[in-house]
Amino acid sequence: MGLIDNLVKYVQHQNLPENKRAVFDAFIKKGFPTTKDEEWKYTSLKKVVKPDYNLFPKQSMIDNSVINKYSLGIKDKIVFVDGNLIYSPEINGVKITGFSDFDFGNTDVISELNSALAESGFTITVEKDTVVENPIEILFFNFTKNSFSQYRNRINVGENSKIKIIEIIQDLSESTTLVNHFTHVSCNKNTNVEYNKIQNNSKDSSLIDSMYIFQKQDSVCEVNTLIFGGRFIRNNLNFEQNGSNCESNMNGISLLDGNQFADNHTFVDHKIAHCRSNEMYKGIYLGNSKGVFNGKIMVRQDAQKIDAFQSNNNLLLSDNSTIDSKPQLEIYADDVKCSHGCTIGQLDEEALFYMRSRGIGVSEAKAVLTYAFASEVIENLSIPELKNLSQRLLAQKLNVDLNFSL
Amino acid sequence: MLKIKNLKAGIEEVQILKGINLEVKAGEVHAIMGPNGSGKSTLSAVIAGKEEYEVKCGSVDFLGEDLMDLDPEERAHKGVFLSFQYPIEIPGISVSNFIKTSLAEKRKALGLDPLPAKDLLKMMREKMELLSIKKGYLSRNMNEGFSGGEKKRNEIFQMAMLEPKLSILDETDSGLDIDALRIVANGVNKLKTKDNATIVITHYQRLLDYIVPDFVHVLHDGKIIKSGDKELALELEKKGYDWITKK
Repeated sequence: MGLIDNLVKYVQHQNLPENKRAVFDAFIKKGFPTTKDEEWKYTSLKKVVKPDYNLFPKQSMIDNSVINKYSLGIKDKIVFVDGNLIYSPEINGVKITGFSDFDFGNTDVISELNSALAESGFTITVEKDTVVENPIEILFFNFTKNSFSQYRNRINVGENSKIKIIEIIQDLSESTTLVNHFTHVSCNKNTNVEYNKIQNNSKDSSLIDSMYIFQKQDSVCEVNTLIFGGRFIRNNLNFEQNGSNCESNMNGISLLDGNQFADNHTFVDHKIAHCRSNEMYKGIYLGNSKGVFNGKIMVRQDAQKIDAFQSNNNLLLSDNSTIDSKPQLEIYADDVKCSHGCTIGQLDEEALFYMRSRGIGVSEAKAVLTYAFASEVIENLSIPELKNLSQRLLAQKLNVDLNFSL
Repeated sequence: MLKIKNLKAGIEEVQILKGINLEVKAGEVHAIMGPNGSGKSTLSAVIAGKEEYEVKCGSVDFLGEDLMDLDPEERAHKGVFLSFQYPIEIPGISVSNFIKTSLAEKRKALGLDPLPAKDLLKMMREKMELLSIKKGYLSRNMNEGFSGGEKKRNEIFQMAMLEPKLSILDETDSGLDIDALRIVANGVNKLKTKDNATIVITHYQRLLDYIVPDFVHVLHDGKIIKSGDKELALELEKKGYDWITKK
């Protein structure tokens, strides 16, 4: 049995309301995307949707020591275990609740499936004029064997407010699992939102993460996607600018080894004039790993004076690793500044020798140069705990005992 | 300290060094001079362990060990240091991080713990003063956007931090104005002890006014064709290389 059959059977048991049933039926009609779909040309879901996933989460307990092991040590934590919200912090001006049903029109097939079936997730509402000083850490733990989990989250940030979030999805079931993660973010007027994702999941875990961000005027939103682990990851990151003087920033690191696969699909929709977007994705590929980058920037006809920058730099550190990188710029306005760059390369041999001649061994020298390659993204992380973790994970994945922070 | 015997080396089929013999003892300063293409930089690269160069025959003994059996990093751990003619730019790594890492790796190889951060900073500050290096420099990216003089000063700064036994200064004077030259040379002189040795590779006699050599060797077509004391350098300055190479 495939996942589709499983889903159909599951839905027969659930009493879905009619509107959700319709969305689900529409999904079944289309099915999971295949490599024939332009947006999935380089990313095959075949193996991801093949296993016999369990759609019924078990109810697990979690020990605080487990939470602490995966937490960055951030004080304000939201913790989910097998889809149940077990902890949420009290913060002035911030309302945090569990799953709430919401619909916001057409998205993509996978997100439609999410909207039909998801029963778990968070809703964060930040009142206006609220500056949340400390970051909020959101942890999703899973203990259910072979689970297919769907989380549906919503963040609404009121005018003149500011918030920073770190999100970690961690599988502890030691089995093949899949997460369909969906997050909708509303950045109201003059808000500042920073969302950080640590994607360092277990070796048999797959993740499809879709994020839809809507910005009003004078808002700044930054998303940092830090990929260090997991078997299969697809990130759909979508920004829509609906007011002037918006800024959308997205940065990413992918450090993959073995048979890992990670795909970053980004889309910035510049609908209004006088806005900016900055995009910087760095990929480092070892073993047989494979990366995909697709960066779409749309500048609508009346969106003049847009300043959009995109870069995707890749290091292939093994003979068998690959990267498919595709910048996709669609510009319908005539007075804009849009630039993009894509590079694929290896480590500089001259620099390696230079470092070795200073007593730094080959693996360490390679690691330092790799860190140097990724540093533009890592050094810009505003949360010190996150920066330290990235530095540690980079050293760990490259098998060196080096401390990059100074 | 260093004994080079009948060293022949080259790149692929091209033989560049055609039988070098050289002995350097602790406490000595040797200058190697010679026209372009004579093999000066190849000699320094072979000693430092650059892998494109193939050693055909001969030996390079350093403190009783054959250097040619060692990886570049192992040579550095034993105390060999090469000041690069063209130092490499490494964007994304600060000078302090680079030096911290290389010092820690050297100490690790020698079975020592890394220097405590406080001691490391103190040492950096002392050596910076020695080379008149300004404060903000440590947080700049390694050689990125450095002027020629800054790059060379950075090389000598690393040398000061790593405290090598044998330093090879490959054209350290090129790209330096007279003030920078004086500062760099002064640094090298202050780092000199009776236990370490220096090989200065240069085109011009100018540097040797500041770093006074005990021996001067003329390299031509892959061989040392003449050796003498510092007077030889003065003579070369006056007459050029022709009078020796054409013999």
